[in-house]
Amino acid sequence: MAKVIPRPDLGVWERLYIGEIFKGLMTTFGHAAKSLTNPAHFPTLLYPEQQPDIPRDHRSRHRLMKRADGSPRCVACYMCSTACPARCINIVAEESPDKHIEKRPVRFEIDLLLCVFCGYCVEACPCDAIRMDTKLAVLVGGDRAGFVIDKKGLMDWEPKDYPASDTQSQKAPGGSLNAKALEELKSGSDH
Amino acid sequence: MFESILNWIMANPYEVAALLLVPAIPLLFFNILPLLVVMERRGAAFIQDRPGPNRAGIWIPILNIRLRAFGMIYNACDFVKLAVKERFDPKFATSFGYYAAGPFIPLLVALILPAFIPMFAPIWYQSSSGSLAALAGTTISTHSGLLALFAFSSLSIYGLVLGSWASNSKFALLGGMRASAMMISYEVSIGLAAAGMFLIVGSFDLAKIATWQGAHTWGIVAQPVGFVLFTVAMFAECNRTPFDVVEGDSELVAGFHTEYGAMRFMLVMSAEYFHVIVASALISTLFLGSYHLSPIPLPLGHDGAMVDLDDRWMRANLGGVCAFMLAVGAIGAAAFAWLIHGRRVHYNRSGASDAAMRSKEYLLYIGAIGGAAVAMAIGAFLVAGWRPQPATLIGGVPLWGGLVDVVTAVAQFHVLVGKILLVSWLFVWVRWTVPRFRYDQIMALGWKVLLNIALINLLITAIIVKLVH
Repeated sequence: MAKVIPRPDLGVWERLYIGEIFKGLMTTFGHAAKSLTNPAHFPTLLYPEQQPDIPRDHRSRHRLMKRADGSPRCVACYMCSTACPARCINIVAEESPDKHIEKRPVRFEIDLLLCVFCGYCVEACPCDAIRMDTKLAVLVGGDRAGFVIDKKGLMDWEPKDYPASDTQSQKAPGGSLNAKALEELKSGSDH
Repeated sequence: MFESILNWIMANPYEVAALLLVPAIPLLFFNILPLLVVMERRGAAFIQDRPGPNRAGIWIPILNIRLRAFGMIYNACDFVKLAVKERFDPKFATSFGYYAAGPFIPLLVALILPAFIPMFAPIWYQSSSGSLAALAGTTISTHSGLLALFAFSSLSIYGLVLGSWASNSKFALLGGMRASAMMISYEVSIGLAAAGMFLIVGSFDLAKIATWQGAHTWGIVAQPVGFVLFTVAMFAECNRTPFDVVEGDSELVAGFHTEYGAMRFMLVMSAEYFHVIVASALISTLFLGSYHLSPIPLPLGHDGAMVDLDDRWMRANLGGVCAFMLAVGAIGAAAFAWLIHGRRVHYNRSGASDAAMRSKEYLLYIGAIGGAAVAMAIGAFLVAGWRPQPATLIGGVPLWGGLVDVVTAVAQFHVLVGKILLVSWLFVWVRWTVPRFRYDQIMALGWKVLLNIALINLLITAIIVKLVH
């Protein structure tokens, strides 16, 4: 059944139009005056200088967590690339020199143009080595190759950009918990 | 030879001034154009709750400031971009010069129009032969005045139609056809709306109409209906929203200038904005008291119907008038500086990465504009007591001498420019408030509403004028 939307019944005043135009002019002038006098009134953001307030659980570009000595926490178990529905994670493993660890990644690449940002890789990781909490709102690249991010790029982050309550990030080199974590690492307790 | 020319200049300063004003007046008008573009862009942005174009800036290396000048730099960027862009002729456009000539006609026509508009009251002086002469505030003073202006302004439509037809594109042709239809429908209403003023003043001469408003009252008081009709018809004449079906970007790509790019596009846009300025000047001259400051004529010994009382009052109280105008400017500048201070505080708090640099830039603006405000306030106090006396009185006409004449002319020109800017803001304001009419609605409004109201208004005005005289 077709839904009939009746035309609004205009009175004489509305059909004269000039008064209604004046009402509209007052509305737009109110907006213009507010914008002119109160800069906090703008809902817009001066983007690259002002960054948006991104919520904690927002999934953005990945990063690889680091041990206290700067090596990746990743043990090249292929759990993330197996879980990945977009098949955008490419890992090449090699034998680790550390006798407590079986493997380590020699290459770890994520194609961000294939990635669907589902977060399955983060859930699949058995040792909290991959996270998606970089809070980058916009990903920029000049060509397709620029969007394929390698191990170096994934580990290019600073502990100071993450809160002190984020213990794992703070254990990384330069973090506030780094010295303690390094001692634990030497004693072989934290792997 | 050189000495004799110098002697002639010294002996006839008013004639020399009249010669210099011929090229100066259109150029002075042209200076409003970039201001109007900024007003349009930032006004649109503010009405839509966004900051608008505020990025382009000039880097000042020593101070480490990017001077953005409230979006003014975009004008320079646009000009450079459109001027150096490749000139592109569509393969299907008419190869004879019609296509290239199209955009020039509206701009040339628009540049002629300010010549008819009086910028200041006629200045009476004693010529070297001893007789009384007047330096007119217009470049072209004719008795046909407004009729000649309308005749020229209608010519610009030939540019639109020619360009759109020569483009050989259906969108452009539809735009051009709409433009000619609009011109035919609304030109009638413009003439009839202004005819009320002609009847009251008894002249087509814009200078006479301006003088009448100084002697009696502003046109908007004498012809309120005529003012509304004329303004609405002028919106249509300038092809501005809500009557911009000629451009009609949602239906016709870009209407008549679809096939134009680069510098030709800029000519079209300049002509469009220049038409808005001329329309604002016409509305100000016909209905908003032209260069007169006071909406009611001031009692100063009423000796004859066409004595410009407002002009005489301005000259007699020149110090007070200048002090008032400077005070208005000072208050405006101070308010502007205060607004910039608000932006500065807000931006510093926002935690943006370039807050330090912008803070310095805002401080520069506050210093410059605040300094201007202080200077204007001091100037207002200094000139407030100046009450000049006429140098001589010839045939009942007071002659004031060079300084008073120059200061009055400059003051009156600023009054007119202030009115033009206010009316231009009305054009911008309406553009971002009222959506575009459908084509048949425009025709219905023009022929069934505006024309009838204009005729009735003209009839009533004619009866009243006949009864009064």
